[in-house]
Amino acid sequence: MNVTKTGWAAAMAIALAGLGLGLAVAADDKPYQVAEGNKVDKTTLEGWRTWRALACERCHGARQEGMVGPSLIESLKQLSKDEFKQSVLKGRVEKGMPNFDGSKMVVENIDGLYAYLKGRSDGAIQPGRLEELK
Amino acid sequence: MVLTRTCTWGVLLGLAALPGLALANSEVIKLSQDAKNWAMQAGNMQNHRYSALKQISTDNVKDLRVAWTFSTGVLRGHEGGPLVIGDMLYIHSPFPNKVFAIALADQQIKWKYEPKQDPTVIPVMCCDTVNRGLAYADGKIFLQQADTNLVALDAKTGKELWKVKNGDPKKGETNTNAPHVFKDKVITGISGGEFGVRGYVAAYDIKTGKQVWKAYSTGPDAEMLMDPDKTMTWTDGRMAPVGRDSSLKTWQGDQWKIGGGTTWGWYSYDPKLNLMYYGSGNPSTWNPVQRPGDNKWSMTIWARDVDTGQAKWVYQMTPHDEWDFDGINEMILADGISVKGKPHNVVVHFDRNGFGYTLDRTTGELLVAAKYDPKVNWATHVDMKTGRPQVVSKYSTQAQGADVNTKGICPAALGSKDQQPAAYNPANKMFYVPTNHVCMDYEPFKVEYTAGQPFVGATLSMFPAPGSHGGMGNFIVWDAGTGKIVKSKPEKFSVWSGALVTAGGVACYGTLEGYLKCVDANDIGKELYKFKTPSGIIGNVNTWEYKGKQYIGVLSGIGGWAGIGLAAGLEKDTDGLGAVGGYKELKNYTELGGVLTVFSLP
Repeated sequence: MNVTKTGWAAAMAIALAGLGLGLAVAADDKPYQVAEGNKVDKTTLEGWRTWRALACERCHGARQEGMVGPSLIESLKQLSKDEFKQSVLKGRVEKGMPNFDGSKMVVENIDGLYAYLKGRSDGAIQPGRLEELK
Repeated sequence: MVLTRTCTWGVLLGLAALPGLALANSEVIKLSQDAKNWAMQAGNMQNHRYSALKQISTDNVKDLRVAWTFSTGVLRGHEGGPLVIGDMLYIHSPFPNKVFAIALADQQIKWKYEPKQDPTVIPVMCCDTVNRGLAYADGKIFLQQADTNLVALDAKTGKELWKVKNGDPKKGETNTNAPHVFKDKVITGISGGEFGVRGYVAAYDIKTGKQVWKAYSTGPDAEMLMDPDKTMTWTDGRMAPVGRDSSLKTWQGDQWKIGGGTTWGWYSYDPKLNLMYYGSGNPSTWNPVQRPGDNKWSMTIWARDVDTGQAKWVYQMTPHDEWDFDGINEMILADGISVKGKPHNVVVHFDRNGFGYTLDRTTGELLVAAKYDPKVNWATHVDMKTGRPQVVSKYSTQAQGADVNTKGICPAALGSKDQQPAAYNPANKMFYVPTNHVCMDYEPFKVEYTAGQPFVGATLSMFPAPGSHGGMGNFIVWDAGTGKIVKSKPEKFSVWSGALVTAGGVACYGTLEGYLKCVDANDIGKELYKFKTPSGIIGNVNTWEYKGKQYIGVLSGIGGWAGIGLAAGLEKDTDGLGAVGGYKELKNYTELGGVLTVFSLP
């Protein structure tokens, strides 16, 4: 079943690429690669797993739309990568954003987390579960 | 009368050697027996949320109007409610946990207390920075701060009398619960089940703040204050000793050390038995596959001796939780409840798991366990011999496994009811229960523990119970003797507000849109009064009398778990639409902001 589906996806990707409509984005200014909205490169996938493991959705919403915490769809349009890293690792404690520099998973996957959220902000990555782009 | 005499005798007999011992208890009991006061968060030690006042009645409740209002100056979720003692009203706020003493005569602020707290606790607080209110005894107001500091304030001046640290926020330990004064102790718990906190309750001397005992929910018998031979539990249709290492045996390795079982609910106390009752919360993590075993004693009803902390009996409602059905909800003590023709003095508990439990509170025997929302589907029933829920494999996130999205589980993680406490009317022996009517999809995944970091391990999507009235709540009347819903009144949103029932024949509660509603207690389908307060209500409705007039007061201020929004979408953009169309719609009704609204007749 999976094999069939993957095969089909691959075939589609190739077909689309052939038509010059490739969905796998790998332009220089994009820190992620994505196809079909839910297949991403390994780094981005680990970023999503980090997002999920640290329960970021409890404040920022399952679609990053913002709840108690701000909308990351919006924030990622404003923040530079360095500012993003600073916010996540050092926190904005007064506003309720913890400092995640104590989390090995966040420290190791900060680039992937940025990539994932940038992809969400750009509308290129869908909310919810992701798979690895083969 | 009897109590006054006991007090006097106590003094005459010279209790100077035992300073304040039974006295504080008598004082609070006496205050709570005078319906003019609202001296405890639930009105009394039995958690009744009942008032003998009857000036406001079914006939005239329609004429209620706002007498006065008061802004706390704080956004975020406002849970709990005001205390009234004599001519003073005491009200609290969420973080930063302000306390105001307000003179009822002219609503002047007599004193204000605002603790300095480390803001790093804000992000560690699960489901908003709520606080469920104050306690009073011995001329002191007790505040359980978010940063775990338990503080005693002079009720007259607001002066800090003592302060003690109850936990460590660096480990994810915070407090949201109201402190409870039983006898000469102020008893508090801990929050942090989503940070792998090991739950406990602790008792402090009301005079000095000195810790008298501390009892964990998990771990070695000695640390749980559990006697393997004397602490009893329901076993094969009778009460039997728990035996040695009853918790340790039900965990893999050292997982009990980060195993949850936190204690942030509403406790009650039976002065005759000298037992306090409370519930422990979910085991950590939310991924059941990662923590094999029954995970005792998370999800448990506890009866403890207030003097020693020793556990008299325990009953685990949801062994090996797979849905985050915290067992912390209020424990209501009712006398003479007839079960199968036999009267019992019972503890009644409406659990997050959707079952309403009735246990003999002296012995701990399981008498009734029945669904208080017909949509509950994760278990078919509770086997009355073993006391275990019979789990339906289709809705078992353990059976479906990690990285599988188990769909259509009822209730959702926030339970058929969360912390919002029910009311009990001793006159008709009926329970008035604010409930949720929400189901969920639940996908557990593996997580690793880091101290002070979230330890959740599941992605959830919640939506109104399918195939029902489309709303996300009900206000119900429950018969705890038979385990039957007597009447159910549908609500658009979860009823996340503590109920009140009075001798005037009215039952009142708040709604997430912000309405205070009063209904006929004999027929809750009859809505007699509603008023739109400034924000959504997750506070509890309290009542008191001042200068011959009855007042009803409630905090509004949307927030908490229900209020911060539960929209989700696990797989595709459309999957979470139920939730989006559900709680998200709250934005059409209400905004943040804490206000106490006080009502009276003209």
